[in-house]
Amino acid sequence: MKSTRFKRQTLALFFIVSVIPALIVGAVWYVYTQTTTLNFLFLDFNSFVLPVIMVGIIPAVILSFIFAELLTKPVREILKAAIRLSNGDFSSRFGTEGRGEFGEINHALDKVGAKLQQTLSQANSETALIEAERGKLHTVLNSMTDGVFALDRSGRIILFNKAASELTGRSIGEVAGQLAEKVMPFRSEGELVMTRFLALGAGKEHKVGQWKGLELYRADGHSLTVNVEAVVLKDDPNGIAALVTFQDLTKVHQLEEMKIDFVALAAHELRTPLTEIKGYLDILDTEAKSLTKAQKAFLVQAISSANQLGNLMHNLLNVSRIEHGELSYQPELINYRSFIETSEEPLMDRAIQQNRILTFHIPKEPIPIMGDPSALREVIDNLISNAIIHTAADTGKIDITVEIDRHSVITTVSDNGVGIPASAIKHLFTKFFRVNEYKSTTHGTGLGLYICKSIVNAHGGNISVQSTEGKGSAFTYILPRHIVASSKSGEDNKVTITRGAHGWIKNHPVR
Amino acid sequence: MAGSKTILFVEDDKPIAEMYARVLERQGFHVEYAYNGAEGLRKALSKHYDLILLDIMMPEKTGIEVLGELRGSDGKGSPETKIVILTNLAQDKTSQEALKAQADGYIIKADIVPSQLAGLISKLL
Repeated sequence: MKSTRFKRQTLALFFIVSVIPALIVGAVWYVYTQTTTLNFLFLDFNSFVLPVIMVGIIPAVILSFIFAELLTKPVREILKAAIRLSNGDFSSRFGTEGRGEFGEINHALDKVGAKLQQTLSQANSETALIEAERGKLHTVLNSMTDGVFALDRSGRIILFNKAASELTGRSIGEVAGQLAEKVMPFRSEGELVMTRFLALGAGKEHKVGQWKGLELYRADGHSLTVNVEAVVLKDDPNGIAALVTFQDLTKVHQLEEMKIDFVALAAHELRTPLTEIKGYLDILDTEAKSLTKAQKAFLVQAISSANQLGNLMHNLLNVSRIEHGELSYQPELINYRSFIETSEEPLMDRAIQQNRILTFHIPKEPIPIMGDPSALREVIDNLISNAIIHTAADTGKIDITVEIDRHSVITTVSDNGVGIPASAIKHLFTKFFRVNEYKSTTHGTGLGLYICKSIVNAHGGNISVQSTEGKGSAFTYILPRHIVASSKSGEDNKVTITRGAHGWIKNHPVR
Repeated sequence: MAGSKTILFVEDDKPIAEMYARVLERQGFHVEYAYNGAEGLRKALSKHYDLILLDIMMPEKTGIEVLGELRGSDGKGSPETKIVILTNLAQDKTSQEALKAQADGYIIKADIVPSQLAGLISKLL
């Protein structure tokens, strides 16, 4: 449209400018061709107008068209290209073949075009990059097995990932813009737990909170047990006030239970053949009357090895239970003195069997403590086993001493054995640690003292060792005394249940 | 003394049952057998035993189930009979169940040899 108007104007201008000279030229031509004045005075159409038109106006009109066309063409081209440019088509250039001012305009516009194209393609690639990043973020968020959601300042949900949707059974559309407290209420024993955390600090300070084992109800009414981590963000430019991640523990629990069940089952399966090995060795030992001295020694060795295998399995199982937090201690009010006394007989039997001298030093008065008798028996058993292993037969002397002070009961198991090298002492209570020097001469798993430490610590006490190489060792564990206000002193109940590592029998210690 | 005592041994693993029985019989106990939980329960209800030794993992009924049915929901059933679990399951969970169901003992087979078992039973009866 513009280009036509411009052409019309240009044409009109040329027309006016060229018609006037054409009229003059026509008139001069007419004067020149007239021979008489009269003829000159009486104009006639043929002799005046026609030549003027033929010689002046027609060429003028033709020239006007040609000039107008020549003059407006580059302008129109520029305009056309500008329109293409405005439509985002950068492929056609303005062409630099134009001369003079038009050439310069073309050149300048070409530059503008190139610059625009460059800027635009840069912007495009940045947009693509942002899109790709968004895509990645989307993939990451929605591939996570943990539920993730974000809240704005008013506590409304503005982001909800796929896992969150699957775990809760709520669609994104359903929760978007809803108050998190209403649609995602995490509870501990029925109480909402995160309200204060998410409300108090929103936007004021950056903080992180963690909760374990919270309850969350699915849309279908089933409850989930979840671990939750929430981050409150300070002045987030994207309007996210808090980000909450939650992990479904159902699967973790299932896996953990499977592992424990497997260990229990494996242990059961291993114990069955061991039962028969030990049992028939015992029968052989009781019934075989005509064994040679060597044969008897073989039998004793076999029995000892079978027992060792039993202890090894027992300790491995205990460690596995400690690690899984499955070894549950059931502290009850017990009289520690009676507890030690009930251990006396079986431990004495063992010491005599192995030719060690075992002596007990126990105070007369009752010692009330809160303890799990079966667990504490493990401690004594392990310490005595160690003392027997590290002392020599016939000369080995082992003492069990129980002392009390105001707050605690102190039990020491000392021996006159090989002792422990100073360098080994700090590793002594760690799992699978065995003193190098004795690995070849003694049997052990390196688990006994680790188990002792776990049990003593679980009772709020501590265990330590003092040792001189070549002279002997003294293991001491300290347990807190139970301070009773009433006359109740932890004196033996009517029915004492002696639960031991080796089962229990009402009123009787096992072993 | 032990000769007058009758023991019901409920155990699906015959070699193990025979192994303990040999020693218990030599000590003068009268031992009868049941090779699964259901049979054990039937026998336990048919006459008086001084002691029932119960394995746990058995076909038909587990030892814990037999114990539960013998002692009843109030835990007072068969008061004249001692019931001792003899198993290789050493989980606290199971041991606690047995204690709640009024067992008189819970013994891990692999931790005890037949002569020790005989000694314990003599003390218990």
